[in-house]
Amino acid sequence: MSAGFRLLMVLATFAAGVVSESKLHADEAGTPDLLRDVLPLLKNRCVRCHGPAKMEGRLHLGLPQGIRRGGENGEAVVAGHADLSLLWKRVVADEMPEDAPLPPEEKAILKRWIDGGAPGLPAEVSAEPEGEEHWAFQELKPEPLPAVKDASAARNAVDLFVLSRLEAAGLSFNPEASRNTLIRRVSLDLTGLPPAPEEVDLYVNDEAPDAYEKMVERYLNSPRYGERWGKYWLDAAGYADSNGYFGADTDRPYAWRFRDFVIRSISADKPWDQFIREQIAGDELAGFAPGSQVKPEMVELLEAAHFMRNSPDGTDSSDGNPDEVRADKYAVLEGSLQIMGSSMLGVTVQCARCHDHKFEPFTQRDYYSLQAVIYPAFNVDEWVKPKERVISTATAEEEAAHAEKVRLVDAEIAAKRKEFAEWAKQHREPGVVLMSDDFDGEGRTLTPLWSNTVAGDEAPAGTPAIQVDSSAAPGAEIRNGQLHLIESGGTGDRVLSARQTIDWTPDVSGAWIQATFDLIAEGTPAPYVGYFIALRDFNDAKKLSGGNVLFDGNATGGAAVQVDYPGQDAGSVGRIGQSGYTPGRNYGVRVTNMGNDRFQIVQVVDGLVEEGSVTVSGKDLPDGGFGFEYCCGRSFVVDNVLVESSLPETQQDDPQKALAAVHVEKRKELAEAVKAIEAKRPQPIGKLALVGDLSAKPPDVRLLTRGSYKTPGEPVESAAPAFLSETINQSDFSQHLRSGMSTTGRRLALAGWLTQPGSRASALLAKVSINRWWAHHLGTGIVATPDNLGYSGSAPTHPELLNYLALQLMEHQWSARAIHRLILTSAMYRQSAAAHAEGERRDPQNQLLWRYPMRRLDAEAIRDSMLLASGELDQQMYGPYVPSERNSEGDVVISESTAGAKKRSIYLQQRRTQVTGILDAFDAPSIVFNCTVRNSTTVPLQSLKLLNSDFVRLRATAMAGLLKKQITDKSGSINDVISLAFRRALSRPPSDKEIAVSKEFLSAQPAQYANRENAAELAMIDFCQMLLASNAFLYVE
Amino acid sequence: MKSDFQFSQNRRAFLGGTTGAIGAMALSSLLQQESLQAASAAVRSKTRQPHGTPTADSVICLFQHGGPSQMDLFDHKPELTRHHGRRYEGDLEIHFPNQAGNVLGSPFRFQPHGQSGIELSEVLPWTAGIVDELTVVRSVTTESVDHESALRLIHSGKFQASYPTWGSWINYGLGTVNQNLPAYVVLTDPAGMPVDNVRNWTSGWLPAEYQGTPFRSGDSPVPNLRTPKDVTEGAREKQLEFLRQLNTVYSEQYADNEELQARIIDFELAARMQSTVPEALDISQETEATRKLYGLDNPMTAEYGTRCIIARRLIERGVRFVQLFLAGQPWDTHSRNAESLRANCARIDQPSAALVQDLKQRGLLDRTIVMWGGEFGRLPISQGTDGRDHNRHASSIWLAGGGFRQGFSYGHTDDFGYKAVEDIVTVHDLHATLLHAMGLDHLRLTYPHDGREGSLTDVAITKAEVVRALLKS
Repeated sequence: MSAGFRLLMVLATFAAGVVSESKLHADEAGTPDLLRDVLPLLKNRCVRCHGPAKMEGRLHLGLPQGIRRGGENGEAVVAGHADLSLLWKRVVADEMPEDAPLPPEEKAILKRWIDGGAPGLPAEVSAEPEGEEHWAFQELKPEPLPAVKDASAARNAVDLFVLSRLEAAGLSFNPEASRNTLIRRVSLDLTGLPPAPEEVDLYVNDEAPDAYEKMVERYLNSPRYGERWGKYWLDAAGYADSNGYFGADTDRPYAWRFRDFVIRSISADKPWDQFIREQIAGDELAGFAPGSQVKPEMVELLEAAHFMRNSPDGTDSSDGNPDEVRADKYAVLEGSLQIMGSSMLGVTVQCARCHDHKFEPFTQRDYYSLQAVIYPAFNVDEWVKPKERVISTATAEEEAAHAEKVRLVDAEIAAKRKEFAEWAKQHREPGVVLMSDDFDGEGRTLTPLWSNTVAGDEAPAGTPAIQVDSSAAPGAEIRNGQLHLIESGGTGDRVLSARQTIDWTPDVSGAWIQATFDLIAEGTPAPYVGYFIALRDFNDAKKLSGGNVLFDGNATGGAAVQVDYPGQDAGSVGRIGQSGYTPGRNYGVRVTNMGNDRFQIVQVVDGLVEEGSVTVSGKDLPDGGFGFEYCCGRSFVVDNVLVESSLPETQQDDPQKALAAVHVEKRKELAEAVKAIEAKRPQPIGKLALVGDLSAKPPDVRLLTRGSYKTPGEPVESAAPAFLSETINQSDFSQHLRSGMSTTGRRLALAGWLTQPGSRASALLAKVSINRWWAHHLGTGIVATPDNLGYSGSAPTHPELLNYLALQLMEHQWSARAIHRLILTSAMYRQSAAAHAEGERRDPQNQLLWRYPMRRLDAEAIRDSMLLASGELDQQMYGPYVPSERNSEGDVVISESTAGAKKRSIYLQQRRTQVTGILDAFDAPSIVFNCTVRNSTTVPLQSLKLLNSDFVRLRATAMAGLLKKQITDKSGSINDVISLAFRRALSRPPSDKEIAVSKEFLSAQPAQYANRENAAELAMIDFCQMLLASNAFLYVE
Repeated sequence: MKSDFQFSQNRRAFLGGTTGAIGAMALSSLLQQESLQAASAAVRSKTRQPHGTPTADSVICLFQHGGPSQMDLFDHKPELTRHHGRRYEGDLEIHFPNQAGNVLGSPFRFQPHGQSGIELSEVLPWTAGIVDELTVVRSVTTESVDHESALRLIHSGKFQASYPTWGSWINYGLGTVNQNLPAYVVLTDPAGMPVDNVRNWTSGWLPAEYQGTPFRSGDSPVPNLRTPKDVTEGAREKQLEFLRQLNTVYSEQYADNEELQARIIDFELAARMQSTVPEALDISQETEATRKLYGLDNPMTAEYGTRCIIARRLIERGVRFVQLFLAGQPWDTHSRNAESLRANCARIDQPSAALVQDLKQRGLLDRTIVMWGGEFGRLPISQGTDGRDHNRHASSIWLAGGGFRQGFSYGHTDDFGYKAVEDIVTVHDLHATLLHAMGLDHLRLTYPHDGREGSLTDVAITKAEVVRALLKS
């Protein structure tokens, strides 16, 4: 390590840790605090000229190191002596800041701080100034390999870099780990899955000297490798299947095509520079012209460009005032830059949105010049919303064939539902009809039975009132024997009410009354289907309490219930039901007398009662009408309104319950059947979300003063960050821009600039990428902050090694696989994870890598490994995401019967606000922008998942079944069962001790299920589940 | 840096320790097993101590989504009534300019209450009964009139999404008292999610263990809290015993690894949570008097009252930070302002006051902060004919207990209640003050982020300061 590097490390440590100490000190002494008082002052007043961006007089006042170092005129600060400090002398003389002398109170802060000993400054700094000299921004230069004392401990060059530092600390590598450990480590590392027993046997029994290398090659070439390492890049690239930004977090239906592009590219070991270029400018590389037909050879490149669409984008659902909508558009541009900065440049660019970066040589102008690169595709003045960016890539025949397949699936499902509805109708509980309307009859009008006033109200409820028997919105009319409710889109509540008054409180306990209607398929389904019971005093003229019980049926499931709606004392009383309000089914509510003036309200779908109820009192349910609510986009069509009460004898609730159980079973059957049919639904074809310039005309892009779109400043041209540009790679893109394109070519130029051979930009890209790969292999990067290799990032532990690996990457034509190979075949990687006292004493955090850093598997590896151990993993690759749902417990799950439910985790829906529970528990990120480093927490909620979740229990059940089958086939002993279980779950045979405790458990556990026929099976399931919950399963060593 | 980072990752909220006053109370009953205490001691020793002397150990935040109208609830403005119906003279920042109307006087009467004589609106009769316990702040300001941004500002100090929320910072700073419950619990409204959804309790870039844990009402407050149906109680015990054996064998090679030890303990804690969490949420043992106090006998107040009782029960069991949310944003009174306010107060006023009263009776108010307020205030003019638009320049909140002054009002707005003009308390000042009361120095409660020390108050930008005037000492 050079002296410079060591000093820089000291500095970085200082920046991250010691500041809080200085605060303490300053507080006690009454001296101003560097971080709280002095730096903000200097940043405000001085850094524009004496900062990373300009550094006039070689003076950098934006960082403690810079203040300590001083400038070309000498030391800036002499601690304890303001009078001797150049900084103070120029300030007190009002020479600095030029034209804008400091106000007295700010001067006082500076003087008191310097006189107080200038606390917070580092003791020593390198002589080199800040700026482009930062280690990570340097070009790549071949350096001699470091010398080591014990060359025999090294297997390749990686080892020399690691070993030389270990030896300097009096340490060396651990001995090599066992073959069982190594194959599990490599397999999990490269594929995210443990090795199958046969794979273990193949390697453990391979006597060839290069058995290990061959094993590594097998996993590097596995299709599972592309899925594992694809997921890492998708995290960094900010991939998600939803738009985020707002609470609605709407669907992003074609993002999966980008995910599949990534998996394919990484499986093929596409040169990393090309991979990056395609993502920045795939459309321009393909020569795609805005508005033209997509040619088949363009598709992959258009999928790649979706990288630029990964930013959260709320503009589909923005409904604020124009200012907010404009801000939402800029937020998309900002998100894209943040993702690019952290995943490709390793610099936190977002700070420069409002001002020149305080810590990095990245100016506000750099920021907007970079924004000008992507602006033509996201032109704020000609904005195209996400749902409008979809283009077709399929031929007319393909479209037609696909539509036909979709139609068949839809028809089959509709038939199933109809069959069920018929069944439900026949098995409907008999009732006494109190009111009914099928809206049939020659010349029928609504007026005789329906009204826009509520019984007892003189005036129409709502303004403007509903036109009864009119299609003028808001209106209601009978068409084709059905009731059409026509909403005007305005706000405010209006009601169509039946004229008949009904008693909504059955007299005896157990008796019920229910109101139902058919919801008819027509047009776009309404987001809400609102209806009332006990309608009275809707205009609130009488201030009576109770009544007007509103059910706001939701397309996504269940209905919210409001009592005494609308008005001063309207209140929400909870939700009922499960099923979403989708056309083609019969909906409604049932009120049951529960005794003691309590009335339970439940949702009734197709005549069947659903889980989820609210309870109200009798005064909430006065005599009143039934009606439909008009508000907020609730146009819908209904038929067969029916209000009925239970037969007089239906008072004891037992038969009702029995019937309900049959109904529940039947409904479950229907759900399963529908899911099975859904599995046949063809994958969407020929659609993707496009990223492309809207035209070749350069847009007017402005620097935004203080980051606000309300204060646009000077116009900016597209350009690369100056601090990474040089003669061979110009900032103004002059050598990368092409003429005669149908787009601006700006993203293509940026892609060329970033990957320009021999440039410092491409060197940084290589370092940022390799550092992230290193972190995936070893838990922590050479720089612990993979999104930030700049001044404010963490200090590198082995910067020369990063330099070396980056050169290797260039030498191997940007082959990521070549770098994996180098790392995985090193002695460093192959050493055991065992701790020893000497290592613990000298390097307790294992920063120098004297042992393999054991750690917990990440979320996806845990889920996928369980599925593999249980023999259930669906190895089908690619395709639309597998949807998740929130179950009745509030957990986000993949329903077991969903098509693809057992595919690898990378294929599950990555909705930003709905992370699958089992993954969420083990720290899978909910993507906001992107994720370059994951936490690994240990909390009891993880244990609850492992002990109690359906997912883990079902995997254990399947695994037990598999063991039984495999052992019965071979008629093996209990020892064989235990051994096979260990080999499946842990990829190794059990130790004697493990066999002993397992045998004991398996023989004693059936007694805990004494009364069950399947006691032995349950014991075996328990055994498998505990293996899957054990530390040996959860950790890689 | 690296070591800090790993240190933080290994810190465990559920196993955090404390020196707070409640600590001993709850721990002794819940952690009887000596072995557990011994095993977790090593981990616990890493937990941060408060920076200063706390005046509170826990917080209950009754969050009022949508922006409660200050001039109709807490901030009496006779001038507003006098000018009712006239044009407002002067500049206003208006969210929906096309719908701006004339000055809108409050339809409600105000009168002084209690010994302190603090004026409150007639729609808050129950709050009036506890007014001598409250610090009413009438000069809270924020930086956005957009709901999502303002929610993020009050919860995390930033207008962007997914920064660590206040509960996460307190959780990170102090850890938990009760090993068997999360330190930061969120009680959502059974009627649905609030605006901005789960982001209201995110831990942002703090480790995930510091995020709020939502408890739902009903049988399964937390997912996976019930043993699978086919597993008997005896079988579960034996499972855990077997798992401990497996993990003990495995740990022999890695005796020094705290994380592996922690995971062994966690299985037993998880098993205990299966009974402690439902117990904490079970209000069936509450007396009839308590139920009545919170309005459980009235359908209008029963739901919110139930959650207020649960909040108290959680605090009693050592939970640090409990926040109640409302579905949607009922205080967003763009139209029918008066009616909507009445409806909201009918639902929320009594349970909120009952919580303060009940905590006081039980001797818990001294060490518990109750906080009541929303993300911003509303305008002195009408929106349309009968609504009020958003206003970031003034809102009113109240705080009770935990070292805050009693029967005290702070801050003033202009004659129309539009702008805070005296003793302004920014949301950032509020954060600094809240942390201070919890014994945490907002300047020192930091975590590495984006290459710098991130914090709740980010003082270089926000200039946040502790508002000592709100506190007794």
